Amino acid sequence: MEITHKSFARVDLLSIHGRLDAASAPQLKQKLDELFDQGRYQIVLDLADLNYVASPGLRVLIEARKRARDRKITNLEGGDLRLANMPDRIREVFDLTGFTSLFEVYDDTLSAVGSF
Amino acid sequence: MRMETITLPATLDSLALISEFVINSTSQAGLDERTAWQVQLAVDEAATNIIQHSYDSTGNGTIELTWWRDGDFYVISLRDFGRPFDPSEVPAPDVTSPLEDRQAGGLGLFLMSRLMDDVSFSFSEQEGNLLVMRKRIGSTATDVRIFTLSGRLDAIGTEAAIQDVDKAIDEGARTILLDLQGVTFLSSSGLRALLLTRKKVLALNGSLSLCELRPEVLEVFEITGFTQVFTIHPTREDALAALQRGNP
Repeated sequence: MEITHKSFARVDLLSIHGRLDAASAPQLKQKLDELFDQGRYQIVLDLADLNYVASPGLRVLIEARKRARDRKITNLEGGDLRLANMPDRIREVFDLTGFTSLFEVYDDTLSAVGSF
Repeated sequence: MRMETITLPATLDSLALISEFVINSTSQAGLDERTAWQVQLAVDEAATNIIQHSYDSTGNGTIELTWWRDGDFYVISLRDFGRPFDPSEVPAPDVTSPLEDRQAGGLGLFLMSRLMDDVSFSFSEQEGNLLVMRKRIGSTATDVRIFTLSGRLDAIGTEAAIQDVDKAIDEGARTILLDLQGVTFLSSSGLRALLLTRKKVLALNGSLSLCELRPEVLEVFEITGFTQVFTIHPTREDALAALQRGNP
């Protein structure tokens, strides 16, 4: 798995490439923790090139979203972890595990980044 | 009977090799792409559990994978000599709770049972932990059950029409195609009945798609936004072609 990172004024966009399994999940967790430690709590994950996800990857996503949402940035705005470009196979895993309703999923990165 | 076995160290680095083994073997067994992917995920979850729980992520020990074909089934076994595993000690995850309460544990076992047709665990001092999982070959590609519904799909009409479908699902049908060519009217309770049946077969890892909708019936799906929920094909041929490719 590889992660590429683009930083915008308020939002960070991480693109995940390859397999998100037990072997690579800690790498994503570390990247997200780094952002949180820098006070960056508005994050979009671009899943266009994610071709595989297993439950350890789902675990990282859910814990990161909980952590981001706990953070209040202003009275009106909070942190969040939002998803974009979800491939069908990934959506199938989300559907099976009841994860679909737990995340905001956008059709493209532009609308996901713009949603903050 | 032809069998193939590999033995790998019980480390996370082995997961990529395990996936490769599954991809090659499912291809030899003739599984379609979607079914092969389901097996791949189930085996990955099983191997991860062995590495992290049976061996406590120590990196010591091995996993032995063996696959063979048994009639219409692709069978794969995973053996380890770590801590004895009892699946009944793992609580089933609640996959409906809201984000704040959601626990992400137990998902591996849950996915394995959802993705495979049969999952069984055994343990003995000599044999270690043995997990055997079976997957029907071509279950998504060949066993399409087509039902032709007709008339008015209101509360009463739908219940009668859908009875046979529900019965078939109870008897093991997993890939359902509803031909709605003869349906002249669809009410909200009809729609709800279709949704319930769809939910039921999805929960069993199957699929339900629709085809041949009249414009006035299609309009009901469009107005209610359910074109996003149901897979709708214009013709029966389109639907069957998509199902044979492994897409619902």
